[in-house]
Amino acid sequence: MRILLWAECQKLRRSNILLLTAFATVFIAVFVFIGGKTTVHGVDFSESSGWYMATALTWATMFILPAMIALLGSYMICREEQDDTIKHLRLVPINETKLTAAKMIVTFVLSVLIYLLLFIITLAIEAVLHFSALSIETVLDFLKMYLIQGAGVFFAVSPIIAIVPYMKKSYWLALLLAEIYSFSALFMSMSNALKHFYPITAVFGVSGYYETTVQELACCIIALSLCGCLAAVLLVGLNHSQKGKKHEEKII
Amino acid sequence: MNDFMIETTQLTKMYGGQKAVNCVDLHVRKGRVYGLLGRNGAGKTTIMKMILGLTPITSGEVSVFGQNIKGREKRVYPRIGAIIETPGFYPNLTGTENLEIFARLRGTAAPNAVKDALEIVGLPYKDKKLFSKYSLGMKQRLGIANAILHDPELLILDEPTNGLDPIGIAEMREFIRKLSVEHGKTILLSSHILSEIAVLADEIGIIDHGVLLEETSMAELEKKNSKYILLEVSNVPKATLILERQFGLKDYSVQGDQTLRIYDTALDMAAVNKALVMQNIAVASSQLCNDTLEDYFKKITGGEGIA
Repeated sequence: MRILLWAECQKLRRSNILLLTAFATVFIAVFVFIGGKTTVHGVDFSESSGWYMATALTWATMFILPAMIALLGSYMICREEQDDTIKHLRLVPINETKLTAAKMIVTFVLSVLIYLLLFIITLAIEAVLHFSALSIETVLDFLKMYLIQGAGVFFAVSPIIAIVPYMKKSYWLALLLAEIYSFSALFMSMSNALKHFYPITAVFGVSGYYETTVQELACCIIALSLCGCLAAVLLVGLNHSQKGKKHEEKII
Repeated sequence: MNDFMIETTQLTKMYGGQKAVNCVDLHVRKGRVYGLLGRNGAGKTTIMKMILGLTPITSGEVSVFGQNIKGREKRVYPRIGAIIETPGFYPNLTGTENLEIFARLRGTAAPNAVKDALEIVGLPYKDKKLFSKYSLGMKQRLGIANAILHDPELLILDEPTNGLDPIGIAEMREFIRKLSVEHGKTILLSSHILSEIAVLADEIGIIDHGVLLEETSMAELEKKNSKYILLEVSNVPKATLILERQFGLKDYSVQGDQTLRIYDTALDMAAVNKALVMQNIAVASSQLCNDTLEDYFKKITGGEGIA
């Protein structure tokens, strides 16, 4: 598994999609900052301490990062077929279930790192804006929130990561599906009942962005766990269908 | 126990209702170069994929190193190097980076394995050029480098000179020959290029429409290929009459308006020429010929040439 993880990291060298994800992270941070500086009815939102870090987290999760993480994950899984490297890998031979697991682990780590990058950017800007208002406790609270958000978003989008290779479609479809999925969270968040079940909004419940009761937190965790399970079922099905394809027609 | 590195028995592959490979019995001996010759779409790649377990077998059996590959991949694959169709690698990585990944995944122990493999195929080590910028020939070389990276006993090469320039083809042929002669590798290679098979193979299998029509050694083939005298004359009917009456010749064939093939190569051609000229038949040429692999291929497949 260690070598597979190393190989997956190597395969991402000079990857345009990884660069695009990093760009999207910086973009959303800048976008929220500009948005915060816009004065509406005489109120400059960025004047309020903590507003920027909280808003950047919300906007990133509602609009950009789930789509980018889904794209990254699907790209990593689909590329072996699309780059036609799978036949070399089969001749090594590698365990395809382990290979997929390695890809999902790397995607998970990247998801957390992307949120960590967003945290570093927003913290830097927040420090410039309201250094005196920043306490270690606040910083650690936000760090925890961002990191859990990164992990949670991975679980929330994991079925999309899995379904695209399962359907044998281009990984760009994952971007589109995840964008619709995360944007819908905007409407789901308006319902107190639904927001703890809808995976993207459930991430906010788990990370501590939403104040939740124990039951609500359990609902959020269950929703995300179900996503993870669904992804696992799809990925196992994907490996079986590939093996099945290899052994089909063994009828005569 | 036989010394076959690869043996297939009644190997069959069906796509839909159509037989792409039909009851193929193929035998590759240790240390030999086996050339699988056939037109594009004849079923060469499908056979190789079935041998490697990359595509399911509809019926029949494959034995590699005397054992069924299924369920023994971990033991068998490290002993095989293969290149099937166009080699696929990660486009955002260099050739060296690509090979380093496969070397580590295979657990290749030799520290200079990547460097040596690249050197053998004539690609630079630690070059900055990305795979996406490689020419088809360079991609093919990298594919071969990947196939030999772990020093396998058996090489399965599907159209190895595909996309190479003439110099590259010559180098690749030399290299394949060297692998066989100097390193004792067993090689199964496919090609639709007759000259390639003729130059490289010790044994050949001729495949057409999924059927292995003939499996023979090149030495036997040379024996089988008939020698004949090609005679170009101004009047074929009159010439045949003279040949039959004066020389008692029966083993000949008329090839055209002015061409005869005489299969009795012991015939005294000087006397034949003299007799024909004496009867006012002009002899444009008379030469000793040998059936080429292409002639044999045509004869076996009952069709046109391969290319």
